[in-house]
Amino acid sequence: MVTQEQVLQALRRVQDPDLHRDIVTLGFVKDMRICDGAVAFTLELTTPACPVKDRMKQEAEAAVLGLDGVDQVSIKMDAQVRASAGTMMIPGIRNVLPVASGKGGVGKSTVAANLAVVLAQSGARVGLMDADVYGPSIPTIMGITDIPHAGNEGIVPLEAHGVKVISMGFFLKPDQAVVWRGPMLSKMIDQFLGGVEWGELDYLVVDLPPGTGDIQLSLCQKIPLTGSVIVSTPQDVALKVAEKAVIMFNQLKSPILGLVENMSYFVCPHCGNREEIFDSGGAERASKRLGIPYLGGIPLATNIRQTSDSGLPIVVSDPDSASAQAFQTIARNLAAQISIRNIETEEQQLVKITF
Amino acid sequence: MTPAPNYTPIEIGRANQHDVRVKWADGRETIYPARFLRLSCPCAECIEEMTGRRMIRDSSVPPDVHPLSIHPVGRYAIQILWSDGHNTGIYTWERLHELAGRIPAR
Repeated sequence: MVTQEQVLQALRRVQDPDLHRDIVTLGFVKDMRICDGAVAFTLELTTPACPVKDRMKQEAEAAVLGLDGVDQVSIKMDAQVRASAGTMMIPGIRNVLPVASGKGGVGKSTVAANLAVVLAQSGARVGLMDADVYGPSIPTIMGITDIPHAGNEGIVPLEAHGVKVISMGFFLKPDQAVVWRGPMLSKMIDQFLGGVEWGELDYLVVDLPPGTGDIQLSLCQKIPLTGSVIVSTPQDVALKVAEKAVIMFNQLKSPILGLVENMSYFVCPHCGNREEIFDSGGAERASKRLGIPYLGGIPLATNIRQTSDSGLPIVVSDPDSASAQAFQTIARNLAAQISIRNIETEEQQLVKITF
Repeated sequence: MTPAPNYTPIEIGRANQHDVRVKWADGRETIYPARFLRLSCPCAECIEEMTGRRMIRDSSVPPDVHPLSIHPVGRYAIQILWSDGHNTGIYTWERLHELAGRIPAR
């Protein structure tokens, strides 16, 4: 009968392509049981949204089947999302991901909502915090019309498409606007972080207001964030302003996970012709220049707008569309970037204050 | 954009009774005398925002001023709560590193 040690040796040949280490060293292989020629184990990855999980499963199967004495392999796929250093300062929330933009109007909220839904669809526990108090569009995009109520330990977030959502929009009547000075905004962030029953979350996506102001500052000062996603359109003018957001996060020592180019190109629904309305490739060039990863581009499609306004994120209403596919790819790239960053910074502690 | 040099502390603790000891990632240590650190407060009350002119008057700060507690600000700075009630200063790692070079010899 083959031994556990032999199986582990064979599995050491399987590399995680993002983390550049083998799956045994990374501690992914768990609960191994061997019975005559049948081997069963669990592969516990760092995120359910791993873009290469099918490939790793196949490689692992092949590696073990290749051993003498093995005629059956059964692998259960699982995931344990690691917390980024120090973020468990909010108990239960493993990763906080602000979605930022320099300018308004680049589709940041649509991007935040769709990314959150894709991560939830892949099996992660996801929250979406709409911190864009001036223009809270998340309730519309996610199709939520209810009002949250208070639980024992805070406000109970509303759920839509598998994501727990909190938005200033829930607390405003249609004829109300938020006309607040700085300290109120800071209090709101406190409330949304500490006064909401988020439960256990793998990812908390935060839709920030456009620009670089009070809310961004409050968020970066109160908790060490996992990393931000910056959204821009391809135009130079949008990119130059997006750069301001990059500089802000660098100044606050907040990691940046990458740049997303929204409204990247237009595909005609009738003839399938691809039109680069806003020029293209701008964000990819900018990301090289700024030294941050380029997570991907999302095409402009009339149906995003239609479905957004009707409360169905496009990844739900039209998952086979080019836009939905783009969101899937970007979300998976994002999940991979988060895993890489968390593994790399695992040894790196935050500053210890012993005063 | 070139990244800023990395002056990151790994530990911030006590030295003597009231002074602040910073252990840096490169292995070095700096001890900031309490009063010096208080008088170097970078907040907008102590330093004029636009001109950088120092506004704090040394005579208005008690001679035995000392930190009561120190708190992290995000991952880029600390906030110090002082015995004289002052607490609005945010000392970034860059600031602390720069101040290290200006500590008066005793």
